[in-house]
Amino acid sequence: MIVNGVAIDDTFAEAFGMRATRILVTALNLKWAYHAAHSMTGFATSVIGCGCEAGIERELAPDETPDGRPGLSVLLFAVSGKELAKQLERRVGQCVLTSPTSAVFAGLDGEPVNLAKNLRFFGDGFQMSKVIGGKRYWRVPVMDGEFVGEETTGMIKAVGGGNFLVLARGQPEALGACEAAVAAMAKLQGVIMPFPGGIVRSGSKVGSKYKALPASTNDAFCPTLRGAVKSELARDTGAVLEIVIDGLSEIEVRNAMRAGIEAACKIGSAGGVQRISAGNYGGKLGPFHFRLREIMQ
Amino acid sequence: MTALTLTLRATPARDIDLSGLNPERLAAMDRDAIGTMRLSGGRQVRDFFDIAIGDAQHLVIRNADQQLTYVGAGMRAGTITVEGNCGAYAGQAMRGGKLIITGSAGDFVGGAPPGERQGMRGGTIAIYGNAGDRAGERMRRGLILIGGNAGACCGANMLAGTIFVAGNMGAMPGFALRRGSLLLRRQPQAVPATFQESGEHSLLFLTLLEKQLQREGAAFARFLPFPNKARRYCGDLACGGTGEMLVFQRDSSNSDIRSS
Repeated sequence: MIVNGVAIDDTFAEAFGMRATRILVTALNLKWAYHAAHSMTGFATSVIGCGCEAGIERELAPDETPDGRPGLSVLLFAVSGKELAKQLERRVGQCVLTSPTSAVFAGLDGEPVNLAKNLRFFGDGFQMSKVIGGKRYWRVPVMDGEFVGEETTGMIKAVGGGNFLVLARGQPEALGACEAAVAAMAKLQGVIMPFPGGIVRSGSKVGSKYKALPASTNDAFCPTLRGAVKSELARDTGAVLEIVIDGLSEIEVRNAMRAGIEAACKIGSAGGVQRISAGNYGGKLGPFHFRLREIMQ
Repeated sequence: MTALTLTLRATPARDIDLSGLNPERLAAMDRDAIGTMRLSGGRQVRDFFDIAIGDAQHLVIRNADQQLTYVGAGMRAGTITVEGNCGAYAGQAMRGGKLIITGSAGDFVGGAPPGERQGMRGGTIAIYGNAGDRAGERMRRGLILIGGNAGACCGANMLAGTIFVAGNMGAMPGFALRRGSLLLRRQPQAVPATFQESGEHSLLFLTLLEKQLQREGAAFARFLPFPNKARRYCGDLACGGTGEMLVFQRDSSNSDIRSS
């Protein structure tokens, strides 16, 4: 399959079942909502080393938030409900509770997971509960007034690890195509691209020659190893970048992959984009297989 | 579907206890069963009311009078609309649902049964007129909205929950209040010495409450708007001081903070 001169490999992205939640972070203005959300989604690129994968889903207008202030919706993904609960509480406690004027609310219905339920104890006995419309909120006195947080949010089954690779003539071409792809995917709801700027340069394979490491560099796609290993790259491919997608459902990941690949292909071979491929483990590890050519039909 | 309607034919000679007339109980009853339902004192519902069958999830009591006591006591779900006044003990030990009183209510609204430690534990009571003494006494959870004046000891021994009063407060508001919030549109004549002012604050939960009341319709939105700033009094300091009295009015001249 060729799209605008870009070859779409006959392969698939292999994704995994994860647990996910959505929370709404509001503040006096969008600037401070971003400070809180950027902080809590920092160092959340991969569950391998960060405990969770997290990102900002979209901006929320004041009429979309429970408290009528501007805000952001944030998605968090983890490999288990227990780990998700741990990461959520730790990140909201350290990054949202601490951020001036912030408040936090549930953004999903589902299995309850603690949001401000335990953070309330920071109030040292001065915290107050209010049940409004069947939902419990905690008011915790802090130095700029009160931190308000909903007691729980919802947790659902989700999909993590959707991906595609952009193979290009060189670094600038690969980066430009991926930036266009991330910009297109960021318009969709229910997905995040957890790596810096939504793009990852260090794609990995399972295993390593070093026993302590569960994963190591994806040598088949490293241009500097062409000739030394069984390379997947043509002689004129100078750089490969990957976009990883976590979504609340399989269809949302699929739609995001299509939007991203379309945007990369729009730049086309004239812009140095050569191939679109995907990362998988032979189909044995993840239950979700996103075949590139089916997605692009 | 129209509401199940009970119309009081004439003012009773003495108080009638309506504690059994709750939507969840009436839902399983037909017209005859409701009519022959025994009230305390041995009389039946049909001795006092004309019955118009409808959706029992919304019970309407027409021509209501202050002789009707214990209206909505112990209710857990649904809506009761009292068209007129009602007597004492309305919403006693209420667990959920909505009780709307278009007139005034007697003493002990949302209070606790004798010997019980907790009063109202959920739901919303909206009183368009005045409330008698000791409204919300020992209240544990829920919301009481009073469009007129509140009698003495409003929120006495309150454990948690929220009471809003648009009019004037009687003596000793929040007496022995342990937790919970008294929201007062007007400055009380005298704030008890055991409540200490902590200044004016913007409180986000007021916005959450305001938006919820807007969602619940005109019967509740009539108590709005709430200003986004309130003068906070911590109290009752004789009982831990973790409750609060929030006064919306900036001073005694009735000016609202939002409009000033």
